Amino acid sequence: MARVAPDLPLRANLSALDNIALIPLYQRHYSAAESNRQAEQLLAQLGHADIAPLRDPDMTPAQRFIAKLARALILGRPRLVIDRPGAMLYDVPYPDFIRQLAAQQEMAGTWEIYDFSWNQALYNQALHPE
Amino acid sequence: MNFLAASIESLGAKVAGWFSVGYGMFAFLAQAGSLLLERATWNRATFDVVVKQVYFTAVQILHVFLGYALVISWLIISIILSTARDFGLTEFASEMTIRVLVLELLPFLTALFIALRSGSAINTEVALMQVNNELDALAHCKVPPMQFEFLPRLIGGVISVVTLASLAGLLALLMGYLAIYGMNTAGFAPFTQTIAKIFDFKIMAGLLAKCALFGLAVTLIPVTAGLETPKKLFMVPVSVLRGMMRVFFAIVAIEVVSLALKYV
Repeated sequence: MARVAPDLPLRANLSALDNIALIPLYQRHYSAAESNRQAEQLLAQLGHADIAPLRDPDMTPAQRFIAKLARALILGRPRLVIDRPGAMLYDVPYPDFIRQLAAQQEMAGTWEIYDFSWNQALYNQALHPE
Repeated sequence: MNFLAASIESLGAKVAGWFSVGYGMFAFLAQAGSLLLERATWNRATFDVVVKQVYFTAVQILHVFLGYALVISWLIISIILSTARDFGLTEFASEMTIRVLVLELLPFLTALFIALRSGSAINTEVALMQVNNELDALAHCKVPPMQFEFLPRLIGGVISVVTLASLAGLLALLMGYLAIYGMNTAGFAPFTQTIAKIFDFKIMAGLLAKCALFGLAVTLIPVTAGLETPKKLFMVPVSVLRGMMRVFFAIVAIEVVSLALKYV
């Protein structure tokens, strides 16, 4: 299981790209060039290739979430748990934001969201806008 | 009576604390040592961090460090030479210069230099990583912090201190030669004979071991002090303060033991 959670931050002194590329570089022993290529590709798939050179403090909450999500996705685990998205995505209407990301063709596996019960209304609104 | 009991209790707590810190450091060192032997440790990511660490610790400051070594060496050599001339002991000047500068003072000052510049930075960074949960995040991604973050810092520290102390030593030898014999080759034979007499295998091995221990002290202690930081941001300065005090005492202890082994 891969987690995207407020208590699993990015490495602050690495760029978004390095945070993601670290996984294939360290775990699968790919070269730095190949690891960077995979990380760039994933960010491009998520529609945020522009955040690659940014470090944690320079990102908006949504950009930080994307970097964390890409890091979790590159782990290649079958389950993805998004833990308390409201604590990470306080600058966007997050149920919609996550739904759009998950709807992309390249996104495989099961995405699970754990959130506070009082935020249920936000998800209902996203699923049934009318 | 209560005062006595409280004092004994406080002293006991302090001694237990020192033992606990010492044990923690040696346990960490033993773990790092055992991981050094594992093949999985030696991958591209770890190697890159080692290179980065050596660059930030030694290469980036090389010109400043060499300038500082040059000034210190020149001053000490001038003092030794003028004192030797006053007492009619000029023939011992080169040996005195090598023993004081190359064997003792420059490695000690190199360790202090690296401790103040890189040791404090390592302590702060590890403490912040600990407070911000970055180590847990790395572990969640199956990137072990020990191999990826700490071991490269220890290796980088040892390489940096040994290299910088060697460069400073070579610079001091050159300065010593120029100060004693001037810009000619007349003194080359006696000077190299003095060097050969001093630098036997035992002294060389001792110098290398001392520099390696200095390198370990200026990285291992800040890393372990950073890891001890409670998860509260306001504890980071306290962690750096404690770590740097320990580094200072460790450097002095290594120097004192090295002098005692050599001259007592």
